[in-house]
Amino acid sequence: MRRTAILSTFILLFLCFFASPSAAQVSIRLRVIQAFNSGATIDVALRDVYDQLGSLFSFRSYRLLRDENLALSADRSFEIPVHPGRAIEVTLVGQRKGMIEIRVKIKREGTDILNTQVRLFPGRTVLIGGPKHGEGVVIFALSAST
Amino acid sequence: MKGSCSSVSNLLERYFDHEVTENEKALVEEHLPSCSTCQETLKLMGGIRDVMRTPVEEALQGEDFQRVWQHVDREIRLRESPPWWESVWLNLPNLLRRRIWVPAVAATIALVLVIAPLFLKKTSSYPGSSDIEYVQSQDYNVMVYQSDKATVIWLLDGKEEGAGTS
Repeated sequence: MRRTAILSTFILLFLCFFASPSAAQVSIRLRVIQAFNSGATIDVALRDVYDQLGSLFSFRSYRLLRDENLALSADRSFEIPVHPGRAIEVTLVGQRKGMIEIRVKIKREGTDILNTQVRLFPGRTVLIGGPKHGEGVVIFALSAST
Repeated sequence: MKGSCSSVSNLLERYFDHEVTENEKALVEEHLPSCSTCQETLKLMGGIRDVMRTPVEEALQGEDFQRVWQHVDREIRLRESPPWWESVWLNLPNLLRRRIWVPAVAATIALVLVIAPLFLKKTSSYPGSSDIEYVQSQDYNVMVYQSDKATVIWLLDGKEEGAGTS
């Protein structure tokens, strides 16, 4: 009886230890931004990142296309369509204290045009940009949700 | 001068207990040979002393003072509340006999196994570490820029390379 109890305790602890990282859920914020040079309009929803965008890029206008809070777990990927034939796929790879590691794929007609793995730290943003979108380009802003 | 019987009899009890002065002792001892009453009184006192001494001495002989002291010592130690390590040390034989240490040790090992990896894992934290593990693209050239607030991955195609970045 006592041996069974001890064995059960070990198994429970073992499962807790190895199951917890995969069962955990994290939230990230994905903003899809269109950057272009006609006019000079800044979307009000982008005020918090405008300084970053302005210091990094030379576009005159920024428009928020999508703003998503994604609850990521290890067994689930999010694919968000951006433009006809274009999509971004986000998958949780791992997480540690204060850091979220994700794999990001940008797809065009089902083909990966970018495959990258990045780490999101609190207070930092990962910007992925370049693909054409209308008269400008599209920029994906990824950050850990606060 | 021989003292009167009444004055000597008042001294007899103290004389018997060796509590008289030299003068009083001389007075009593001068009076005693000539006074049978005081002699009887003195003899009675001796008898009473012997009657009381015998059972006390017998009781003392039967008493185990070593054991009594051990009891007293244990009581003192218990009231002093010994430090935890001393308690553990004193109770160790009982603990080992009960085998409660088996689950305790098992739980400790399990706890160490759970906690140790958390400390042993390398926790990467900015600054000093890259935000990017890898970048792959077959269709685009990729430019990576990292500042103190953001990391930029920019896809450059051949026609408009670098057009939008400053």
